[in-house]
Amino acid sequence: MTVEETTPPGPAIDGAPRAVACRCRDTSVDLSFRGGSRRILDDVNLELLDGEFVSILGRSGSGKTTLLRVLGGLLEPGPGSLVQFHGESVVGPPEGVVFVFQNYAASLLPWRTISKNVALGLEGRVPRREMPSRIQEALGMVGLQDRAQDYPWQMSGGMQQRVQLARSLAMRPRGLLMDEPFGSLDAMTKASLQDQLQQVHQRTGTTIAFVTHDIDEAVFLSDRILILGGSPATVEHDIRVDLPRPRDQLATKELPEFLRLRRCVYNAIAAPGG
Amino acid sequence: MTVAPPGPSAAEGDRFTKTGGEGGPGHRGARDGLFPPLRGLLPLIVVLLGWQLAAARLPPYFPPPTEWAQGLVELARDGLLLPAATATVVTFCVGLTAATVLGTLFGLAVGASSTVDRGLRPTLESARAMPPAAVVPIATLLFGFTATMKVVVVTSAAIWSILLNTRSGVRQLHPVLLDMSRSLRLNRRDQVRKVILPALWPSIFLGVRVAAPVALVITLLVEILTQVDGVGALIAISQRNYKFAQGFGLILVAGLFSLLVNALVSTLQAYVVMRHRPPR
Amino acid sequence: MGVFRRVNGLGLLTMIVLLGLWEVLVRSGALDFQNLPAPSAVAARAQDLVASGELLVNLLHTVRVTLLGWLIASVVGVGLGLVLGLWRPAWRWSMASLEMLRAVPPISLVPLALFVFGFSVRTELTLIIYASSWPVLINTIEGVRTVEQELHDVARMLRLSQVKTLRKIVLPAALPSVVVGLQLSLSLALVLAVVAELVGNPSGLGNGLILAQLALRPEQVFVYVFTIGLLGIVLNAAFRQVAARAFGPAIRGQGGAP
Repeated sequence: MTVEETTPPGPAIDGAPRAVACRCRDTSVDLSFRGGSRRILDDVNLELLDGEFVSILGRSGSGKTTLLRVLGGLLEPGPGSLVQFHGESVVGPPEGVVFVFQNYAASLLPWRTISKNVALGLEGRVPRREMPSRIQEALGMVGLQDRAQDYPWQMSGGMQQRVQLARSLAMRPRGLLMDEPFGSLDAMTKASLQDQLQQVHQRTGTTIAFVTHDIDEAVFLSDRILILGGSPATVEHDIRVDLPRPRDQLATKELPEFLRLRRCVYNAIAAPGG
Repeated sequence: MTVAPPGPSAAEGDRFTKTGGEGGPGHRGARDGLFPPLRGLLPLIVVLLGWQLAAARLPPYFPPPTEWAQGLVELARDGLLLPAATATVVTFCVGLTAATVLGTLFGLAVGASSTVDRGLRPTLESARAMPPAAVVPIATLLFGFTATMKVVVVTSAAIWSILLNTRSGVRQLHPVLLDMSRSLRLNRRDQVRKVILPALWPSIFLGVRVAAPVALVITLLVEILTQVDGVGALIAISQRNYKFAQGFGLILVAGLFSLLVNALVSTLQAYVVMRHRPPR
Repeated sequence: MGVFRRVNGLGLLTMIVLLGLWEVLVRSGALDFQNLPAPSAVAARAQDLVASGELLVNLLHTVRVTLLGWLIASVVGVGLGLVLGLWRPAWRWSMASLEMLRAVPPISLVPLALFVFGFSVRTELTLIIYASSWPVLINTIEGVRTVEQELHDVARMLRLSQVKTLRKIVLPAALPSVVVGLQLSLSLALVLAVVAELVGNPSGLGNGLILAQLALRPEQVFVYVFTIGLLGIVLNAAFRQVAARAFGPAIRGQGGAP
């Protein structure tokens, strides 16, 4: 395993400045509880560039998932907020954006085979003839071509999460919103899924917003890391990650730059308001 | 029973699953299989044999088993048995189907919205407390002695377990399931048809499994009470006309129906659960 | 019970609105059922029946017979259930017969019972006892048998004697299931009482109901039906109260009875 040390630092994709895929301006969210409401996010401003991989980190309860749900149109932001995806205001789940849930088991339909699960979002949108090739393509990207006829419950957790990823990829999304997708997997499985996700990202150029608890994971995968903090939460830090791509589980994680970023992110999360 | 603390929705479901009393054979622990050992049939055989042998000394309203069959043959010859059986089966099926559809709809409504649930609860609970036997006279007042009346009574008795199970099913629906279908931009119809209903089938069928024996019993009840068509009506009529052998034959038929219904519904439910809520 | 602690205003309102709607629809003639009385007419009739004492007499009869039948059925059901649940040969050599017998809906025996015992309380009691023994019986068997498998090892490890095992482990663990059976039996007992009174016994709420129907007095039919429904609710609530008082902690911890 060698790292192409010659790769210059900087954004993975060079050339002209990239378009903004996703934009939040003055976004706030109030969640109502039994007997009152609480402001979770306040005055959040962020921009995700087209094709960028951005991780969102923060302590538990800092509103990471809430922010992701707002971007995905699953949650309506408060008045005065502006949330756009490729220039269009987000009202309900926007076309071309798919959410990937941490709870893969609950998000797959146990009565459908893998290929039928992947087909769920395509039905009625893609001509019947194209369906098999779209499904195969998506399953191919996560290495599950051979399991198309199995049922989700016959698979391990890691495979089920791949199925969910394939289901999202089958939609050929311009944006993927991933909510701690590898949070409940063991370390080995997690690493192999990270590699796979990296490949998918390189291949499709999809914009990815990735919520995680895991600092190593964030540094390893991202072009940029946003750190939420405060109560109500805002974006407190915006950290560039200029590690060379493709990244490698061992070599990349041994680079001094990786270690520096890791420390930097850790300190940013640990020191409130810092 | 009226205004219950939050627990009872689930507890109600539990109670219904636990209701060996109404569930029929097959709800034993897995280790016992579907039915206890067949040698257990011996006492029944002995009793029936003894009954047969002692028939001469028993009062006329306890005719020996061999005559039961003859009674049934008589009924069949007179062209009464088949129409009666058909009427019973039709009432049962229509009533159970109506109960399933209505129970599911109401269950969805009260499960999805706590406001609707609170609003309807006292009314529904009072309606549920009404013994079916007491509903019969009202139904006859409103609908006369008709097939519609029978179906109404059966539906009103069978709807509850389906409604309650659907309600608790809706409450246990994983929120991710709804988010997922929204994120994949399924339209409302597809969301219900492809995601929500299939996810609810196990709950609904659990309700149906409990409701089916109830529906059969109530079908017989309403037939016995009103004597509008069906096996139940024939049972009442044959006893009244001192045709005891026919009466016992018909009771046997009722027993067979009930075994059949139980077997069918258990199989169906096991299939649905296996397919839609497989082991994790 | 949270019945009085938390009043469901919305629910009561719905009920009142529905009753009002019923009243209006009947008065305006929008509902074209011939025999549907308005709630006000039902209430008026109820007052008459209470004043004349007829309702109370019938109510007391039904309550008495239901409770008596249920008590006997409970004793029979628990007793038989313990034998069948604890003594394996008994279960093996008779359970299949019981399952067959159970398949016969007790309702279908009503005409026969009527013939054998005539128009009497005996018909009513026999039917109640027979029908409502089943849930107790089945739930007792199930409760005891399920326990036997699960806690057997514990008892052995603690070197409990058989009698102690029974008293300290098997019976308490089977209790929730038995209580559920008892509750089901009580509802069933009321149903059977009403059925028997409808067809056979010349007294009780069921009888009042059928007489009202024969006399074509719809308001009176509704009075009796509502009384029966109310009785069902009261009996059930009373059972829960008593069960919670009597076995409270023992059944709550195991999530058996609601």
